[in-house]
Amino acid sequence: MAKINLNISVNGRRYQLAVEPYETLLDVLRNRLGLTGTKMGCGSGECGACTVNINGWAILSCLTLAVQTDGKEIQTIEGLQKRPDELHPLQEAFVKHAAVQCGYCTPGMIMASKAILDHNPNPSEDAVRKGLSGNLCRCTGYDRQVKAVLEAARTIRKAQHE
Amino acid sequence: MTAFFRPSEYHRPNNLSEAAQLLSNFGKKAKLIAGGTDLLVTKPPEVECLIDVANLDLNYIRKDDDGIKIGAATTVDVIESSEILSSGPYVVLSEAAGVMATPAVRNMATIGGNICNASPAADLSLALMVLDSTAKVAGQGESRILPISDIFEDVNKTTLKEDELLVEIHIPLVTRTTGASFIKLRHHQTSVDIAIVNVAARLTCSKDHCEDVRIALGAVAKKPVYAKKAEKFLIGKRLDAELIQESAEAAAGESKPIDDVRASAGYRKKMVPILVKRALEDCVRRCGTWQK
Repeated sequence: MAKINLNISVNGRRYQLAVEPYETLLDVLRNRLGLTGTKMGCGSGECGACTVNINGWAILSCLTLAVQTDGKEIQTIEGLQKRPDELHPLQEAFVKHAAVQCGYCTPGMIMASKAILDHNPNPSEDAVRKGLSGNLCRCTGYDRQVKAVLEAARTIRKAQHE
Repeated sequence: MTAFFRPSEYHRPNNLSEAAQLLSNFGKKAKLIAGGTDLLVTKPPEVECLIDVANLDLNYIRKDDDGIKIGAATTVDVIESSEILSSGPYVVLSEAAGVMATPAVRNMATIGGNICNASPAADLSLALMVLDSTAKVAGQGESRILPISDIFEDVNKTTLKEDELLVEIHIPLVTRTTGASFIKLRHHQTSVDIAIVNVAARLTCSKDHCEDVRIALGAVAKKPVYAKKAEKFLIGKRLDAELIQESAEAAAGESKPIDDVRASAGYRKKMVPILVKRALEDCVRRCGTWQK
């Protein structure tokens, strides 16, 4: 069988690709579209490093076949900034709270955080911890990330009220 | 054949008969894909054809006079947050969904996938078993309905025929004096941890007597099992702490766990009565007839 045609939107840009049935979304993002912000961690759904958002929901791109995402809107870490010189409030907050050490888990952690805030603009600390429970960080622990997400939530809410 | 997961075909059938036809054509070389969160972990090298259930309209939860119907491709997060499953004994299913894997996995994984992967530790299967759920299975011939527990044959093996797929789960309506509970014991390092032992129970009471009971055990046998002796202990009797303890110990006697990477058989066996006791106590509390 020939390759499968795939129409996807990644960070607001439309792509038409021909992919093999076994190519994961992670393969396509990194190897074909050059979007290497999304990381390959365990490859088996344990670590969350490959988290991206599809139609606003956090999913694992290593456990998703590219063909399954046909017609869907995908957002990766590269799509968060509106302008190159302006960080997203989540990115700002991660920098401010030093919620990054080696940085490998950070793109997945931020995309999981984005999905939390998209569905609940005012989450409790518990909701943030639960929402990030699938994202492992082996350097810093989790307190800084949780604080960063709560601060980003405040910043986003404030900006919406202004 | 290569030793890698390299399916060369991908189909997204638009109806059940097309799906059954594809399953029949490709036989053992075909694999259904829904969320993909099990398939892409195991990556079976023998699979040559993937059949995606995405266009079969199997993503729904409906309630009517007949009971609750759940499409096989309904994702676990939808079950977790479903209004229909947020009260009464049905919460046993949303509770099981809420402690399964991680949020991102729950956004992808489906109830049908959890059942048909036939893991002995499948969380949703246990909850469905104690609710006496049935499964509708479609193939090339007439569709058939079977009790959920009849789907499981062995570790990761179902009784479904080659051309059959799980279509819908049916949960019968339950009377108000029923309580149900789901308890999962696992390591807490990551929320993705599969159960060391998991237990679901459902108790129907009349005043302080047990009218009907279901206890299902996970990760202690080759498939999810009912603790039938433990159930017999309770039926028709007045519920008190001693009886519940006896029933819980009977459940331990029925379990046949193994040693694996998560825990030893001995530890599992010791945990069974503790979890069963807690689940039954939860059920009693939820029935609202706990006699202290």
